[in-house]
Amino acid sequence: MADKSSDLVQGTLDMLILRTVALEPMHGYGIALRIEQMSKGVFRVNAGSLFVALQRLQRAGLIRSEWKATENSRRAKYYVLTEPGRKRLTSEKREWGRQVAAIARILEAS
Amino acid sequence: MSLLRNIADGLRSLFRKERVSQDLDGELNGFLEMAAEEKINQGMSRADALRAVRLERGSPEVTKEVVRSAGWESVVETLWQDLRHGQRVLRKSPGFASVAVLTLALGIGATTAIFSIVNAVLLRPLAMEDPSHVVFVQETWRDIFPGLSVGNFADLKRQSTSFADLCASNDASFNLEARELPERVDGEIATANYFTTFGVQPIAGRVFTTEEDKPGQPKVVVISERLWRTKLHADPSIIGQPMRINGLPTTVVGIMPRSFDPLLSRSDLWVPAAYTAEKLADHDNHYLNVIARLKSGTSHAQAQSELNVIARVQQRQYPIDDENRGFRLQPLTTALLGDQRVGLRMMLAAVGFLLLIACANIANLQLARSRTRQKEIAMRAALGASPNRIVRQLLAENVVLGLAGAVVGVLLAYWTVAWIIAHGPAEMPRLDQSRIDARTLVFACALALLSSFLFGLAPAFRSASTRLSEVFQSSSGISGGSRDHIRSLLVVGEVSLALILMAGAGLLIRSALLVAHLNPGFDTSNVVVGRVGLPDPGYHDPALARQTFERMITATAALPGVNSVAVVSRAPLAGGGSSNGLLREGKPLDMANLVNSQLQIISPSYLSTARVPLRAGRDFTLQDTRDRTLVTIVNETLARTMWPGEKPIGKRFACCEAGPKGRMDPVWHEVVGVVADVRAWGLDRQVQPEFYIPLAQMPASAWDWIGRTMDLVVRTRGGAVPIRELQSTVASVAPAVPIYRLSTMQQKISSTLERSHFDTFLLAIFASTALLLSSVGIYGVLSYMVAQRTRDIGLRMALGASQAQIVWDVLGFGVRLAGIGLAVGLAAALAATRLLSSLLYGVRPTDAVTFAAVSFILLVVALIASYLPARRATRVDPLVALRYE
Repeated sequence: MADKSSDLVQGTLDMLILRTVALEPMHGYGIALRIEQMSKGVFRVNAGSLFVALQRLQRAGLIRSEWKATENSRRAKYYVLTEPGRKRLTSEKREWGRQVAAIARILEAS
Repeated sequence: MSLLRNIADGLRSLFRKERVSQDLDGELNGFLEMAAEEKINQGMSRADALRAVRLERGSPEVTKEVVRSAGWESVVETLWQDLRHGQRVLRKSPGFASVAVLTLALGIGATTAIFSIVNAVLLRPLAMEDPSHVVFVQETWRDIFPGLSVGNFADLKRQSTSFADLCASNDASFNLEARELPERVDGEIATANYFTTFGVQPIAGRVFTTEEDKPGQPKVVVISERLWRTKLHADPSIIGQPMRINGLPTTVVGIMPRSFDPLLSRSDLWVPAAYTAEKLADHDNHYLNVIARLKSGTSHAQAQSELNVIARVQQRQYPIDDENRGFRLQPLTTALLGDQRVGLRMMLAAVGFLLLIACANIANLQLARSRTRQKEIAMRAALGASPNRIVRQLLAENVVLGLAGAVVGVLLAYWTVAWIIAHGPAEMPRLDQSRIDARTLVFACALALLSSFLFGLAPAFRSASTRLSEVFQSSSGISGGSRDHIRSLLVVGEVSLALILMAGAGLLIRSALLVAHLNPGFDTSNVVVGRVGLPDPGYHDPALARQTFERMITATAALPGVNSVAVVSRAPLAGGGSSNGLLREGKPLDMANLVNSQLQIISPSYLSTARVPLRAGRDFTLQDTRDRTLVTIVNETLARTMWPGEKPIGKRFACCEAGPKGRMDPVWHEVVGVVADVRAWGLDRQVQPEFYIPLAQMPASAWDWIGRTMDLVVRTRGGAVPIRELQSTVASVAPAVPIYRLSTMQQKISSTLERSHFDTFLLAIFASTALLLSSVGIYGVLSYMVAQRTRDIGLRMALGASQAQIVWDVLGFGVRLAGIGLAVGLAAALAATRLLSSLLYGVRPTDAVTFAAVSFILLVVALIASYLPARRATRVDPLVALRYE
């Protein structure tokens, strides 16, 4: 694991969570782990922000949850992407792409 | 959808707190366990792994707190905590809490009670379809607003285009023989479209048809649900059944719902007007209530200007009857309830003031308390509570106070409303419908919240802004200056509000006292009055009608305990009357020369029975019959108006009927006597010109004007009122004819004064409560000041100040506060009492005596309230005071 981990850009955690659970239903730790692995350790997710984000997404109807057994036969709450969540992810991805391109243009303009 | 989910989820965490918390615990623990497991797999010991996870991912306790406070429900929860905390704090100072709750309950209770009456009487829409489009039409003539003549109504109906419906009715009462004894029932004679104009359907049967509203049709009647239930045992088969009304068989065709009372006249039955051709051409008698529904899209002003045009046409068409006559259009609500507005608004303002005074008092108490609570609050601030949080908490405490006050206040209001309905003036329409309903409850809650902010905000901000250092340094008791300013200001405000109320109450009391000492113009003791109406078909013959009343007089006079008996067309204070234009002999016959005067038809014994003093000339005798000279007796006001500076005896005027040569042929009446003015329309009303003509000389048509109805006036020798005997005597002379509105003259007088006495009584109660509360305020501020300055006072005494000086100082301060409040209050009261002028009799709204009296009372009370703390100040022991630190 990389020592230097960055804080997430404001507001992106929701998008990353949606992206992660879009692959398959996942429990909280799984989501955190997956984000860290996929970012190659750049991002570290602490429990507080993760669960607040999960609560928020769930209340917005973008994900839903159910208790299931893990492969180690432990009980954990699994999060599943809903249809509105899938739509939101698509639009957020598009928006993110636009923003990144714009920022890149500004930075390279000098 | 997601908002709903959000709310549902939040509610779940609020109400199933444990379940949700367990859920979160489980999830979080699983999370940490899994993270730790990974580290253990990499070779760490379990304890080390758990510690590392805790460091990396945050402790579970903090995480839980973060997650829990992220949702909206956490705001609700803090609020709830604040409220519970507030309630605990208040429970710890029961003295303060109960005083504050009681004070507030007084304010909220009084305001809520009066509001529920205002709500029932003024605010609730009239029970009809779209009342905002319904208007009331009257004629305007000189400065009075009579009803319409049937002729003018018929023209209006034909010519106007502004109205979807235009109907007419006039009040009448009927002898009803239904099941038991004959009874007198109030009702209306109405046109067929009367019911459709208001858009109200009968609950059974139908209303009458246009066909039935024509002369010569079989008689039909629509009855009220009230009459149906109380007098007819709610008999469902009543529709289609006959009953005798005024002696004639009449078919019941429909029942109107209980709520149907469009003119607030408590009508129990409606019969078709069926105007004859002769009536439709009558432009001379003005008595119809005319109600119209505006076409949608037609404005009030448009309708009024159309009426003005029609009025001008009529003035040309009927120069004698309609000269200078116009029409006035008013929203029905204004026409029916306009009179109630001044009094009720005054009451609402009064209780509003009372509530403000109560709030000021509690704010004062809170300010005093905030001083003693400074350390507690400073401690909270030191432990990290933000000023925001502290203000919120203190406000929550006040909201608890406010809500408690509202609960007690609503209870208080509940009893007050019940009391007012039972004892309030019977004439106030819809008063009996006042109740504490959802609207009043919402009002009370809003009041509670508003007042808790009113009295809570200043003290809360003051407390929250205190600096820690100040508190612990200045425990020595030199009082904070600005704090005392606020408190003094509050007291000044209270005193001035109280003075306004006292001035209003004072004026009403003075007015009531003046009215009570007015001379009614006759001897009101031991006089019993009841009305008797002879039905038209049986007693159509004028001679028969007269003989029946004369026989009634003779029979009643023979009853034991009766001194003398008379009949009069309208006894004093019986309400109503018949107005006539009199032409003084020697003036040209022109409408402008007519003097409007009230006609009284009397039996010769009337003036002596009522003991109306004869000022000049003679009384009527049995010899004044139709074949002799027509004679009249006038009251002093008429004598003064018609023959200023002259002796009226022997003078003549024309009135009441036309001579054999047609309408313009005057019939002269010779004045044989002048009597004292009788206050016939209520003690507090102006006396009108009035003339009397003897029963034996009245024109035959006058029996129709007065509806063959007269008041039987009986002077007894004192003792019990012989109600039974009177009823059976009347029935023995005229079978199936009831005597109604039977009461003593004194009862009639007090019922006309009921309304003004009620206003006076309530305002006096409010004013004394206000005075009491504001004197408590003065007392509170001064006691606090004395307590704060114990050390100063001790020091001054040690330096040689006398007790008298100390007393004067404290008294002076109290009187200064009261004085400033008095000055402000006097200025405001002078402006405010002008609104009362319509409720006052014989007192100007700026009456100096009243203002001086209430100022004096207020100053005396202020002195007493200041004296107690002043005396306490002199008991300060210099040694103790100096050691006080």
